[in-house]
Amino acid sequence: MFKQQDEQIQQKMVSVTLDGEPRELPAGVSVAAGLFSIGEIISRISPSSGKPCSPHCLMGVCFECLMEIDGIQQQACVVEVQEGLVINRGSLGKKE
Amino acid sequence: MSRCYDVIVVGAGPAGLTAGACLAEMGVKALVLDEQHQPGGQIYRRVETASPATLKVMGPDYDRGLELAERFHKSGVEYEGGAIVWNVTADGSIAYSRQGKSQEIQGRYIIIATGAMERPFPLPGWTLPGVMGAGAANNLAKEAGLVPAGEVVLAGSGPLLLLEASILLKKGVNITAILETTEKIPSAQTFKYLPAAIRRTDFLLKGLNMLREIKSSGVVYHKGVGEIKAQGDSRLESVEAMVDGKTQTFPADLLLLHFGVIPNTHIFRLAGCAMRWHQEQRYWYPQTDDWGRTNCERIFAAGDGSGVSGALAAEYKGELCALEAARCLGIIPDYERDSLAKPLQEAINHDRWPRPFIDAMYAPKLDGSHFADDTVLCRCENIMVGDVRRAVSEGVREVNEMKIVTRCGMGPCQGRMCGPAVAEVIAAELRQSPERVGLLNIRPPLKPVPLEEVAEMELDEASQVQADLFKNMKK
Repeated sequence: MFKQQDEQIQQKMVSVTLDGEPRELPAGVSVAAGLFSIGEIISRISPSSGKPCSPHCLMGVCFECLMEIDGIQQQACVVEVQEGLVINRGSLGKKE
Repeated sequence: MSRCYDVIVVGAGPAGLTAGACLAEMGVKALVLDEQHQPGGQIYRRVETASPATLKVMGPDYDRGLELAERFHKSGVEYEGGAIVWNVTADGSIAYSRQGKSQEIQGRYIIIATGAMERPFPLPGWTLPGVMGAGAANNLAKEAGLVPAGEVVLAGSGPLLLLEASILLKKGVNITAILETTEKIPSAQTFKYLPAAIRRTDFLLKGLNMLREIKSSGVVYHKGVGEIKAQGDSRLESVEAMVDGKTQTFPADLLLLHFGVIPNTHIFRLAGCAMRWHQEQRYWYPQTDDWGRTNCERIFAAGDGSGVSGALAAEYKGELCALEAARCLGIIPDYERDSLAKPLQEAINHDRWPRPFIDAMYAPKLDGSHFADDTVLCRCENIMVGDVRRAVSEGVREVNEMKIVTRCGMGPCQGRMCGPAVAEVIAAELRQSPERVGLLNIRPPLKPVPLEEVAEMELDEASQVQADLFKNMKK
């Protein structure tokens, strides 16, 4: 859905654990933006409708990017990517 | 003992940055708390680390953020990024979570500069992955240099929708259509404001230039569009809309919505600030005096959170709050505050000239009766517009009652996304103004925080006074 166009951005990639799998995300951006950059557009399965959600506002309002980061339910758009983060998108990961 | 500041500023957008810098320059002990990790807010997000390419595309208006950030750092004001404020009280205490720890701090004055948000606008299919706010796409560009891939449709109304469209065009994004809900011919009412707007030809020319760029690009651009629907199975595939009386379908991988901007008011309502209804723009904002003070003596509202008037006005408003707070603290006398404020007030007035015209041209044509019954209203709890209508027919008259009966607004976003629309739906059913159907009550925590973190907080003695369970029996 999104692609990296800005070649001047020197992105340092760091390793994180996403739904139990080792993945690389660009350091220093929000987790939500980082996931978009690697093509992971689904942030969670809505507990009320059972349907997949993707982040809507990316400014801390909508809570559609709520996911478990280092054991705590947090808004992925306000948490910065750091080496070693453990990210779980709940039922999304378990299904696979 | 908890930390104490003369002034605590919440938010580091144009208003918060200016307020914080101005206070520190006067020698006031101030702290700026910011949810983001770098100063700038939404409009100047990541401006300090932006690449030359990003700076070029975003234009000179974005560069302004660099000047603000420079002044901010030079002032030496204390700054904490990644701070999630989850409680504010009228007596000046703030609880916030940062790096997995929560703490309570005291401010003699609090300047809340939490800005605005895009007006959430429920339409069929807006919960599909692939539908997001135009501001969200803008943030991804500023933060991570990400650009939409595939076919993009922009829909909604307001100058920022067109601004985003022009930015995307410059980046070579494949826009299938721009669907504007604004009428083709502006109402006669709009032209009443034109003479005032002409005093700022520079501003109007900027807008006209933007429109010309969009038109000359040859992109499909419709006005007066209605009945916008996002369609797809597990993600967005196309957008359907009523164009010139005919239903048209546009293929899309990404639908960017924008229906104007409204103040982000949860924090004011939590603190108990009195709110006012803006009838033309259909939003709530905190009632303030000329300095930005709310009805709570210690709490100020600065920037777009106190009423949407743009980034430049936000700067001025932030500085006015800072001057009045400094006066109250005894740092500057009345006459100094007044003389420093004068150019700011003039700048606000200068900035304001074109606004009524733009506001009238893009006034939200909101009618709660237009939302379809099967549209998701509350995204968190999956409550439909029809559920809310049914509850009204069963006697519900107010938003808080609606929340209890239907769970609408009870999810993690605490009604940020459904609150404005649910009021519109109830009001339309009752043929009343949304002003009459109330505002959701906001209680701490403003954002979810682990109970463990709260339990580990170091509290003041004052916060530890035990409830006297036998108070009444002692009489």
